[in-house]
Amino acid sequence: MSQERRQDPRRAQPLSQHVGIQKIQRRQRIVFWCLMLCIFAMGLLLAVERHRERRRIEALAEQMPIDAPTAVAETVTLDLANDQDGSIHPETRQIALPLAVNARARALIDHLLAEYALPGSAHSLPPGPAVAEVFLLPLPVMGYVADSSSSATSTAGYRATMPVPSDGPSGLQPQHPGGELAVIDLRSSWVNQHPSGVEAESLTLRSILGTLHRNLPRIEQVRFLVDGQARETLAGHADLLRTYHVRDTTTQMDSEDPEPKNP
Amino acid sequence: MATLSGHAQHRQASGGSATPGSSAQAVPKPPVLTTQHPLVAGPAPLPLPAPIAIQRRVIVLDPAHGGSDAGAQISDTTAEKDVTLALAFRLRAMLAARGFTVVMTRDSDAPGGGGLTLDDRAGVANHAHAAACLVLHAGSSGDGVHLYRSDLDAVSAEPTVPPWLTAQAAWIPQSRLLQREIASALARSGIPLVIGAVSVRPMDSLTCPALIVELAPADEDADSINQTGYQQRVARAIAGALLVWESRVQAPPQLSVAASTITTLATQSGRTALHP
Repeated sequence: MSQERRQDPRRAQPLSQHVGIQKIQRRQRIVFWCLMLCIFAMGLLLAVERHRERRRIEALAEQMPIDAPTAVAETVTLDLANDQDGSIHPETRQIALPLAVNARARALIDHLLAEYALPGSAHSLPPGPAVAEVFLLPLPVMGYVADSSSSATSTAGYRATMPVPSDGPSGLQPQHPGGELAVIDLRSSWVNQHPSGVEAESLTLRSILGTLHRNLPRIEQVRFLVDGQARETLAGHADLLRTYHVRDTTTQMDSEDPEPKNP
Repeated sequence: MATLSGHAQHRQASGGSATPGSSAQAVPKPPVLTTQHPLVAGPAPLPLPAPIAIQRRVIVLDPAHGGSDAGAQISDTTAEKDVTLALAFRLRAMLAARGFTVVMTRDSDAPGGGGLTLDDRAGVANHAHAAACLVLHAGSSGDGVHLYRSDLDAVSAEPTVPPWLTAQAAWIPQSRLLQREIASALARSGIPLVIGAVSVRPMDSLTCPALIVELAPADEDADSINQTGYQQRVARAIAGALLVWESRVQAPPQLSVAASTITTLATQSGRTALHP
């Protein structure tokens, strides 16, 4: 059997010659695998660029105002914060704003916060879209108080609430007829990058409140949400659960303190 | 009594008996307003519980954050919780040397901030009936010390049942005076100063003259906030101011129960939908 194998000339030949295939040279194999690598890399690059472009277009769409801006730019006053001395000072800008009040409020806040993202800002904040939406509610607004008589409170350990009539003492009342409550829904992607600190966070809120006060006097009160949800603080300090009254925030708080009110 | 908030129950349960600081000097009882609201029926105001005297030699220090809550990241190596605790220790030593009893809401970096929530910290502070409550923070913006009081609208008298979320409102005039006192002392020490009013929990729930003391770096270098000499200078100025403040602090007038009921409802405006 072994002698038969040795004598069979076909069996002694290499396989490539046996099946009629020429041997692939080493450099050809290298070229082949280099080409395969290039194809894979180009495919990967194409996928990454496609994803990046999609995100850029989505970001642009998020920044677009709901309402088209008016053709003519108008003068608005932005209350700009300064970290160094904790002050707020007004500065005018020419900005084209939409007509709807809630869209104007959103555009104003977007422009204000975009100023803080510029290099050399006195109150440096992260860039990117900050406001998802601004909702306006006419005042007075129905409120809720804790309901200690509810069975849920006593048995299930929950904290039940009950609505308060709008004409009751606990309702959010307007200071002037036609006053509105603005609910500003911030994006968590922006809030999560906000610098932490009492001064930094308070200046951001004061700046927003002051800018709304100067340009949209119908807005009397402001509440904040983050991605549509209530959140305790902006970045660990400033309270986001309370309702803020808009006011002139450029003056020193100490000099503008009114006399205590009689309860 | 069943309708009282936890805060009111605390106040009435303690009844002015044993409180920190045995050397405390009681103050005369503050005037009691018996304003009867026109919507409240009844021939005479209800009897009031005796107001609790301020313990003039007691100071509350609340080093903010702690445990897993690190607060602001001031530099690569410095977290806010560590700076607040270090400043609290220095301040406690300075105050103790001046004869004060110091109540601290935490004195270690235990996990979870010592297990105290913000409301718990306010409860600890309110139980002490202190002459001043200082909430200590630290941040990297600006320089020197930022001195804030609550931005609640002041009311002229304290309801018998103060609403938890706006309990500080009756103490705003006292907090404002304390702010000026400490600001003057810091300015005399040459420490850069920013003063203002903010809304940072749990300050609005404190029933004492209350301030936030936010320590910022001494210069451009963020790590200068850890300098021993700098912190000592700040602590010395604050302790000196509190020594003067001890003789000036006064409790706000108390309202009658009838008027308090109206006030409690009215001051809850804007806070009712989102209880902690």
